[in-house]
Amino acid sequence: MPEVFTYRNDSPSRITPEGTLAGLRVAVQPNLAVRGWPCDAGSRALSGYTALQDATVIARLVRAGAVLSGSSRMAELGFGLTGDTSARTVVDGHADVALITDTMGEVRLAAAGAGLFGLKPTYGLVSRHGLAGLVPSMESIGLAGADPGRIAETLAVMAGADPDDPSMPDDCTAGFSAVPPSGTGSLTAGVIEENLTRLDPEERLVFDVGVARLEAAGVAIQTVNLADYGLFQDVHHLIAAVEASSSAGKFDGVRYGHRSAVGKNWNDMYLNTRAESFGSLIKPFLFQGAYFQFERYAAFENACRLRGRLVRAVDDLLGQVDLIVLPTRRPASDPKRAATIQATYAAFALTLPASVTGHPALQVPNPGLAAAQDTGLQLIGRRLDDGRLLAIGQHLSFAAREGR
Amino acid sequence: MKYEAVIGLEIHVQLNAATKLFCDCPNRPGDAPNRNVCPVCLWLPGALPRLSQEALEKAVLGCLALNCTIQNESAFDQKVYYYPDLPKGYQLSQHHKPLARNGWVDIVGPDGGLKRLCIHHIHMEEDVAKLVHETEGRTPISLVDFNRAGTPLIEIVSEPDMHTPHDAMEYVKALRAQLRYTGSAECSLEQGTLRVDANISLRPVGTEVLNTKVEVKNMNSIHNVGDAIAYEIIRQTECLEKGEPIVLHTRLWDPERRVTAPMRAKFEGPCVPDPSVAPIVVTDVWLDAVRGRLPEMPARKSARFMETYGLEPDEAAAMSAERDLSEFFESVVERDLPPRKTAGWIASQLVPLLRERNRSVGQTHLTAERFAALLGALKKEIVNTQSAREILGQLLDSPDALEEIIQKGGHRQLSDTGDLETLVDRVLAAHPADVADYRSGNPKVLGFLMGQAMKASQGKANPKVLKALLAQRLG
Ligand SMILES: [Zn+2]
Repeated sequence: MPEVFTYRNDSPSRITPEGTLAGLRVAVQPNLAVRGWPCDAGSRALSGYTALQDATVIARLVRAGAVLSGSSRMAELGFGLTGDTSARTVVDGHADVALITDTMGEVRLAAAGAGLFGLKPTYGLVSRHGLAGLVPSMESIGLAGADPGRIAETLAVMAGADPDDPSMPDDCTAGFSAVPPSGTGSLTAGVIEENLTRLDPEERLVFDVGVARLEAAGVAIQTVNLADYGLFQDVHHLIAAVEASSSAGKFDGVRYGHRSAVGKNWNDMYLNTRAESFGSLIKPFLFQGAYFQFERYAAFENACRLRGRLVRAVDDLLGQVDLIVLPTRRPASDPKRAATIQATYAAFALTLPASVTGHPALQVPNPGLAAAQDTGLQLIGRRLDDGRLLAIGQHLSFAAREGR
Repeated sequence: MKYEAVIGLEIHVQLNAATKLFCDCPNRPGDAPNRNVCPVCLWLPGALPRLSQEALEKAVLGCLALNCTIQNESAFDQKVYYYPDLPKGYQLSQHHKPLARNGWVDIVGPDGGLKRLCIHHIHMEEDVAKLVHETEGRTPISLVDFNRAGTPLIEIVSEPDMHTPHDAMEYVKALRAQLRYTGSAECSLEQGTLRVDANISLRPVGTEVLNTKVEVKNMNSIHNVGDAIAYEIIRQTECLEKGEPIVLHTRLWDPERRVTAPMRAKFEGPCVPDPSVAPIVVTDVWLDAVRGRLPEMPARKSARFMETYGLEPDEAAAMSAERDLSEFFESVVERDLPPRKTAGWIASQLVPLLRERNRSVGQTHLTAERFAALLGALKKEIVNTQSAREILGQLLDSPDALEEIIQKGGHRQLSDTGDLETLVDRVLAAHPADVADYRSGNPKVLGFLMGQAMKASQGKANPKVLKALLAQRLG
């Protein structure tokens, strides 16, 4: 088994040992800048690149007393979970919270596979400054851990306005309070009928167990409809590929990262560098994005329009119910073994909706089930309802511990 | 068949904001290579663009000066192409939602009448890095200087309203004057802070057909703009007459050979909305505040100069054409000097001297106070016109006080009748034949004798006194 960390922090600094997060151990992926640490985002394109400054979230965590334990392995440029070890940093006891960038459901699936809680925060709630990302309009620095309360405290430190990330929407600038807006009582959760019909009998069975736990915790369950549910995958795929193609445009070997040793002139150097920089999963994804940029721009525009429609549809649903419930993962497809784009999208099918719409989503483990069986329960909330989701998660966690 | 040219111009203007468009690096492309760079403009992983408010304001001032409507919402797109001068692999530019639309400038047509030329839109974008390809030697080397990468530009896209090289040249001049007035841009074609690309196509006179256009670049003076367009019109006309098709392509103007030549096709990439730069939402309050910083523009100022100071239209136009000179003019006049005489001196004496030195008045030692003092000395006949011209040159170049310059240069005018009498007598004695000629009825000789007397005084004699004395002595 490969080493969990690609970089291990042997001399953790303790600037504020009495801060709100004093002693909290945080693991990061190597796409998040920690000054002086390797930051290659799991790609040859950035081989040898060392971060020059701390990402905003890193600076905030360290200031609050958190200790950075190290940098895990990750899928190339954060596309999927192939080879990712970030959740293991928590399972193996090296960290209390792992920061996992969620572009299509990575933090939720990594947590689900490890029996942990995993939160993809509301898009824009957390600064992206210092995140060597791939899909700027979808990615969110997520948090995985065993204790939703600690996740909430950690998020409270990470969240909120950052002058270095002016793309954060105005409604997110107030930040996030670890104290949820209200109690968990008298809540309603919507189960999407169009999703239910796609589950096989076994998945359905496990999902029903999870929904029953919610119900037992006092949440009213209601079946709701989302006619466009089938569109999430194509919309995500098209927009993410186009943005990934743009984001990876900077990897040309001119200023940093890998540079090909062969080439007669700059143009050769450029082509060879890019050809050598990317692995077999991300490369076709970048090609697909470039294809839509250059050859099928109308399809991209159409996907953007549909995305707007999907955001409105989910907002409408969240007007009828307080949260939406989905399973997190499909046991048949292992995201860590996905070798093709198709296999990757199949593994992430259930987490794409919240990535497309930007709503917060929390993976909740079912401690009553064996890890291989547990498909996880995914709670999707209203924008900035991250605290409430974590409070529900906390509640379910206590209930499970008390054996209810 | 007779053809008519249809010309549209795309003009890039560098804004003189203190920083780059999306980071705090100094907007000084000319510094030592790669001095003005940071994680944002080098686009290191994890960097995010932060739109400069100053650049936005300067862009908006420029748009207002060109009579454009500022859009309530504008946004940046990624113009994708792969070239080492682009650190991101795309250029941030406003393609789908430009900052401003529907502007115009007025030019004087060849018939002397006013002609309004329309602007389709103005958008903001970032400049690219500078590349040096060294192909000599065994291994070709390419060097990149990122000082210019990310510096703020506006691109002004005209309607295809122009039909002659004259139109195009006047359009560039009018636009340049308006933009310089706002103080947002230097607009020098020579220094590349204003770059003109011309799209030229021909169509049979009297039709509205849209023909294939050819783009011409690399004109680094107003005259080159006119010459390149004139050349391209002739070239395309000959093509059509020979039955050769016009193909869409880009040509470079060669100022040495005075021809346009085709350049390697530049790849036109797609434009994708950028998810990281927040859309620019302009509120009425903000826009009013920026509008309030717009100076009085030349047309209005010219009218006021006629009304307030009684200038003639051409004088008023000359005094309002450049903002710094117009402010200089007013500042001199406010020191109680006659406006028309002041305007005359500025236009006929000061402007040529500035042009010789290739400087604006602010870049010299001349101040309104010094200039007013000089005109005052002239009025009080302390110096004569000829000396005043010479002194003006020294007031521009040295910080010395006027009094000192007059003293040191011996410019004080000789008005003392006694001294001048001696001088006149000496001149007349030296030219007996001419004196006789005058006395025998040839009045033209007076001019010659006057010149000799002035020369003898080293140009310092009071001409009025001198002339009276000569007439008296000869009479
Ligand atoms: Zn910079």
